[in-house]
Amino acid sequence: MRLLECEAKEIYARYGIPIPKGVRVKAGEKIPDLAGIGPELVLKAQVEVGGRGKAGGILPATPADAARVAEELFRKEIRGVPVREILIEEKLPIRHEYYLSILVDRSTRQPLILFAEAGGVDIEQAAKETPGAVRRVTISPLLSDVPPFALRDLLGGRVKEFGPVVNRLWKVFREKDAMLAEVNPLVTTDRGVFAADAKLIVDDNALGRQGITVNRDLTPREREAESHGFSYVELDGNIGVIGNGAGLTMATLDLIQYYGGAAANFLDVGGGADQERVKHAVRLVAGRPGVSVILVNLLGGITRCDDVARGILDAGVPQTVMVRLAGTNEEEGKKILDGRGYPMFATMDEAVKAAVEAGA
Amino acid sequence: MIYGDRNTGILVQGATGQQGAFHIQYMNAYARSVGGRGVVAGVTPGKGGQEVHGVPVYDSVRKAVADHDIGAAVIFVPAAAAPDSIMEEAHAGIPVIVAITERIPVHDTMKAIAYARMEGAAVIGPNCPGLISPGEVKLGIIPAHLASRGPVGVISRSGTLTYEVIHELTRAGIGQSTVVGIGGDPVIGQTFTDVLERFRHDPATKAVVVIGEVGGALEEEGVAATALPVVGYIAGVSAPPEKRMGHAGAIVEGGEGDAASKIRRMEALGVPVAQRVAEIPALVKELL
Repeated sequence: MRLLECEAKEIYARYGIPIPKGVRVKAGEKIPDLAGIGPELVLKAQVEVGGRGKAGGILPATPADAARVAEELFRKEIRGVPVREILIEEKLPIRHEYYLSILVDRSTRQPLILFAEAGGVDIEQAAKETPGAVRRVTISPLLSDVPPFALRDLLGGRVKEFGPVVNRLWKVFREKDAMLAEVNPLVTTDRGVFAADAKLIVDDNALGRQGITVNRDLTPREREAESHGFSYVELDGNIGVIGNGAGLTMATLDLIQYYGGAAANFLDVGGGADQERVKHAVRLVAGRPGVSVILVNLLGGITRCDDVARGILDAGVPQTVMVRLAGTNEEEGKKILDGRGYPMFATMDEAVKAAVEAGA
Repeated sequence: MIYGDRNTGILVQGATGQQGAFHIQYMNAYARSVGGRGVVAGVTPGKGGQEVHGVPVYDSVRKAVADHDIGAAVIFVPAAAAPDSIMEEAHAGIPVIVAITERIPVHDTMKAIAYARMEGAAVIGPNCPGLISPGEVKLGIIPAHLASRGPVGVISRSGTLTYEVIHELTRAGIGQSTVVGIGGDPVIGQTFTDVLERFRHDPATKAVVVIGEVGGALEEEGVAATALPVVGYIAGVSAPPEKRMGHAGAIVEGGEGDAASKIRRMEALGVPVAQRVAEIPALVKELL
């Protein structure tokens, strides 16, 4: 889950990474006295999307006109996300902007630290345009500190200036279960080094131990699905989809697209789904407005097809449910649904084709 | 046979749990059908001395390996305990560790895998169905009846999609040398590159099916590094960006790891990529 900038900065500050003076203001709240923050201010929309600056989510202000600018910001949507909170910060007297991040690198299976002399920009773009502009150092996840040699490789002659910040960010990364801990830009000023912006993405599998109870990256319906143990993603089409296993369900969506249809959702019931869970899944998918046909594609390994069939029957939804069942207790499952108005198919392709035709 | 054969003694971590006990039965039924050794020991701390479906349970891996010749371990313990299990098995010298467990925090996985590598162990998974070498050995939960013995290796980040593919291959009369589910997490022990390298040294394998999905670049990296004939398939062509598609690792982030670019890179390497699962057998036949 991606944290808000203000949340990330509060964490960074606790780990000794300097952040600008600032205050959080929620929509509808009174703007506090800003005199102590600075003569020049920056108002930043707190939304969990990238490209915020370009989308008009960052505005300059003075203490005198901050209330008016804040109002303007609260009326905006940043890339479709309404602004519910803003961060009012001092405008830093920036000398130079750098880039610093630590991420989980899938290829090496280890953390990777990135540093660039040019910050405040799209770093992927910078890396493409100027090879060598971004320095990368892989660090063993078993190390509690970034070793000096790695700091020299990463920072060149700036170890003294940035070494402490890198090590503090390393601690944030490790202790907060971060998938990404980014400071872009990391700025130098007359008063020292500051994290002018902050991005922290926490591993969804570690939210519990990080004390995060609600995954804000999910919609309410996606959260409800998660509470049933489903993986669920809302899409824009009209064919409701239920599969078991992420890969098979994704492949089912792809096949719907291949045959010219559009899926309403991705729903993976998970391994070993029983009658009750299948019932919940079918009802959840059917309950979404605009779903005109439902496709169930299950390959039973641990999952038993007879359980699935009973679950589909129990759900009793108004839409036509196209069923493809294969694997454990396949014949029993087919018997349960036979003659009850559930079209059944032997292969994924046939089932998807029928669902696309029915949904057209 | 790239991670084990019928002579491989298997240890199951979490043997007394529901999942562990269930799959001990299935792995041993398979072992009996092919004349293999199967699961020879189970481990659950505090439950040493018990038996699960005739398999002796030990308090620790160290005690189990003292009594048995063990070539591979399969982990069914919950996410909070699984990283410790991986390290315990690696420390005890078990060379192949299959972690079925899902939802392990990525930082724990990174540490456990780094430790296992130092001990010289290969970790398959986590969040994976394990592997099967038809006619030899089953390490994990892949339904054995779908597989058949033959010359094609299969590597996949998925579970049930793998079953679908081997089901199609078997129906088309194409058997498999070894089927490996490497796991759906962002960080996994054995990647496409590692498994393809093992297949390269395996005389039983003539071609490989690489079943990938959105997220990361492990598919392209693996295909680029091998000389073996490969057929590809990538799930998630219709996946929206920045949405996690069931697997923790199945996400298009920052414009990276989308299906179209993966397919493009694989095709640029001369690899035929199936648009539908049902097309895979025909493409494989062309390579054999």
